[in-house]
Amino acid sequence: MDMNNSNVDISDEKLEASKSPTGWSIIWREILRDKVALISLIFLVLVVLFVYGISLILNQEEIVTVDLFAIHEPPSEEFLLGTDYGGRDIFGQLIIGTRNSLSIGILVTLMTGLIGIIYGLVAGYFGGTVDNIMMRILDFFLILPFLMVVIVFVAIVPKYSIISFSLIMTAFLWMGIARLIRSKALQEKELDYAQASKTLGSSNLKIMFTQVLPNLSSLIIVTMTLNLAANIGLESGLSFLGFGFPESTPSLGTLVSYATNPQTLESRWWIWLPASILILVLMLSINNVGQALKRATDARQRRG
Amino acid sequence: MWKFTVRRILIMIPQIFLLSILIFLMAQAMPGDALSGLIDPNLDPKEIAKMREKLGLNDEWYAQYIDWIKGAIQGDLGESFRFKMPVSELIEQRLINTFWLSVVTLIITYLIAIPLGITSGRFNDTWADRIITGYTYIGFATPVFIFALVMLWIFGFHYGWFPTTGSVKPGLEPGTFDYIVSKIYHMLLPAISLALITTVNTVQYLRSEIIDTKQRDFIITARAKGAPESRVYNRHILRNSLLPIAAFFGFEITGLIGGTIFVEQIFGYPGMGQLFYESILLRDYSVVTSVVLLFGIASILGALISDVILSLVDPRIRIK
Amino acid sequence: MGFLEVEDLKVHFPIKGGIFGRTVDYVKAVDGVSLSIEKGKTYGLVGESGSGKTTTGRAIMGLNNITAGKITFDGYDITDLKQAELDVRKQIQMIFQDPYSSLNPKKRVLDIIAEPLRNYEKLSKIEEKKRVQELLELVGLSPESIVKYPHEFSGGQRQRIGVARAIALKPKVIIADEPVSALDVSVQAQVLNFMRDIQEELDLTYLFIGHDLGVIRHMCDHIGIMYKGRYVEQGTTEEIFNSPQHIYTKRLVAAIPDIDPSQRKKQIQFRQEVQTEYEQSYNEYFDSDGLAFKLKPVSKTHLVALPEVE
Repeated sequence: MDMNNSNVDISDEKLEASKSPTGWSIIWREILRDKVALISLIFLVLVVLFVYGISLILNQEEIVTVDLFAIHEPPSEEFLLGTDYGGRDIFGQLIIGTRNSLSIGILVTLMTGLIGIIYGLVAGYFGGTVDNIMMRILDFFLILPFLMVVIVFVAIVPKYSIISFSLIMTAFLWMGIARLIRSKALQEKELDYAQASKTLGSSNLKIMFTQVLPNLSSLIIVTMTLNLAANIGLESGLSFLGFGFPESTPSLGTLVSYATNPQTLESRWWIWLPASILILVLMLSINNVGQALKRATDARQRRG
Repeated sequence: MWKFTVRRILIMIPQIFLLSILIFLMAQAMPGDALSGLIDPNLDPKEIAKMREKLGLNDEWYAQYIDWIKGAIQGDLGESFRFKMPVSELIEQRLINTFWLSVVTLIITYLIAIPLGITSGRFNDTWADRIITGYTYIGFATPVFIFALVMLWIFGFHYGWFPTTGSVKPGLEPGTFDYIVSKIYHMLLPAISLALITTVNTVQYLRSEIIDTKQRDFIITARAKGAPESRVYNRHILRNSLLPIAAFFGFEITGLIGGTIFVEQIFGYPGMGQLFYESILLRDYSVVTSVVLLFGIASILGALISDVILSLVDPRIRIK
Repeated sequence: MGFLEVEDLKVHFPIKGGIFGRTVDYVKAVDGVSLSIEKGKTYGLVGESGSGKTTTGRAIMGLNNITAGKITFDGYDITDLKQAELDVRKQIQMIFQDPYSSLNPKKRVLDIIAEPLRNYEKLSKIEEKKRVQELLELVGLSPESIVKYPHEFSGGQRQRIGVARAIALKPKVIIADEPVSALDVSVQAQVLNFMRDIQEELDLTYLFIGHDLGVIRHMCDHIGIMYKGRYVEQGTTEEIFNSPQHIYTKRLVAAIPDIDPSQRKKQIQFRQEVQTEYEQSYNEYFDSDGLAFKLKPVSKTHLVALPEVE
């Protein structure tokens, strides 16, 4: 992440002593000071470690295999959270679902981030007609009824897979970050340091990515964190409707979708409620961390 | 003013054009065509080929596009193969249901947002503000579908206070008082569920807007003149903060469309969202295309209305 | 023929309007400016905010598009930087007004000063570091500063970093855009003297843009005075300060504070006289649009914008 690092041999201590005040130390300090954010962060780290760790050991085949002798069992010692209509262990599905939801959330966030950053940077840096045209295109994507268009695409794409699902989501989710980056880049490129780079012979491409981009890093980190929470919500929503993950791959949304059966909703809470709560708590925690980051990067809002 | 509006409307034309192209291409990519819902499978393949030719299904894509758009403008959206009836007729009742659901949701959204936002902004950093901010935090992180499920579980099934499916009690005569009451009764829980989530953005916006305005010079001047606190709020701060909120409802439409798909599905409410959902599952694509087109145009118009109102309220936007 | 020559330079910015955002009018930021700088000398460009002096400097650097005119450097046409026969960036460099925004806050001093070197000279990391340290020493900063970030320096020190960056490629000409106006008065003299030292040491030619006549007098050999995008007077420092011809120049010179308290009364009286003259003869010195006339020579080096005499 550190764009400043050139390969000159400067000892680490020296670097440490000269940390920029807008850097990681401030972010860290802000999170430590904000108890809610700290707890959220610890929770997230634990969930990630647990989910990715356990799913290495878990036998996914076994979990998604239908067992007709154990349909709709309530929580017991064998099945910590009971079983679903196919006799599959909910707890195991919960872990794999969380892993899948997190993974796709991160993947989509990174891909939309990459597209959004490049798009916004180009539009904002060049400005003028280029910006005008690019923003009109962006506006168009923004007014599309996101959920419907994604569902239609999911329905018509041949050979549907996790990759195509994340590509479809990415195609209609890059606009928010692009717009933020663009408006910040518009301001930054007018600053003397960007102008100076031009007089020093740096190309536009070089100025955009090595001079302006590092100054947008805090905005990018904050936005991507908040986007991650939103993307997990969207993914589970789509999976809930049946237009997310393919059936063989459980997601948190898939578990919640069992609740569309009124009987399950009414009397078999162990199937859908844990997944619902997990989605909620995950999104809440990521948002909390994101908000703390936001405060850390905005000096006026900093708590101390 | 008129300049901005004209320019804004001019931008809208290519938007609608692009939207129609996109939807048309999506429709082309869908398996089957307008015929597949109509024909009798026992027909002679030669006959089918003839019919295809007659309906223009073998034409170049742009010719087909023009045919399709011509029909759409005249209200002919094709035929639903599942219901064996014109899509426009099928949509009509659903559209009315969704329209009223959206209206009720918007009303509830503002009914919640305005008092909470004002309280939170005016008395910021008090316990009331902290509770409201906490609510907006949680609401911001809660997906609509989970919240709606929980609401249905608790108030629909557990307590049985609200109906759990449908848009009206069967057997009631349309137009009667009971009918209308039943309609509203069925709308209430979905609308509240959706509104409680969508309102948090407005609450947050109103709060920060009021806190911002409070520190502006003209407010300090008003206070310095000795204007009573209530007058400062009613005449100065609210006027400045509420108008942009009013303009937001156009943008809300886009969000509502997403919400209705979930909410109508969960509450079994027969509206456009549910129609869309069922049609796509049953591959009734002429219905799908029509619903997407209508909702797309609705959000384009919503954004237009909001932009124009905002430009009325805030002259700075016009300069852009 | 001067070392750096600007002929009838025009920089016009379009004003967009109407529904389709067509160009409805132009702001004539620079409207027919000519100047000539001799090698090793300092040329001062003076004017109030919005007079076009900074735009002139930025146009020479290629930061603003040139509408019309010609710029030559050492005989080469450099009006269009991309088509110039020599790499102008290596010959002409710039020092910016605001040392707080002209240095990228996310970069270490090493990366800031090495930026031009990385663009033009292929140096190994060790050579590069050595060069940067030499440059830092030249501008009076400690070589250890290379690992620091700009915010760890004072305004004056930052401006020195800016100078180090500008001289890294050993340019012949430096355009200094109000290099001290963002600094504390106490630091200004320091930076100015240091700039003169560097000038002698590296045989630099300066185009010094400023609004502070005291600073300009201290630094420059020749001076051009700008008003609303045009020249009103041009001459040696001597001529401008001792025998200003244009009423606008007169008023500027009269406004320079005098440190001798015994002269205070006289000063005030003199200023009032000039002010009255300015108000009365404004229409004689400026055309109907309030712009300056074409320059006319009064002596070999002294040019003044005076109306045509019928």
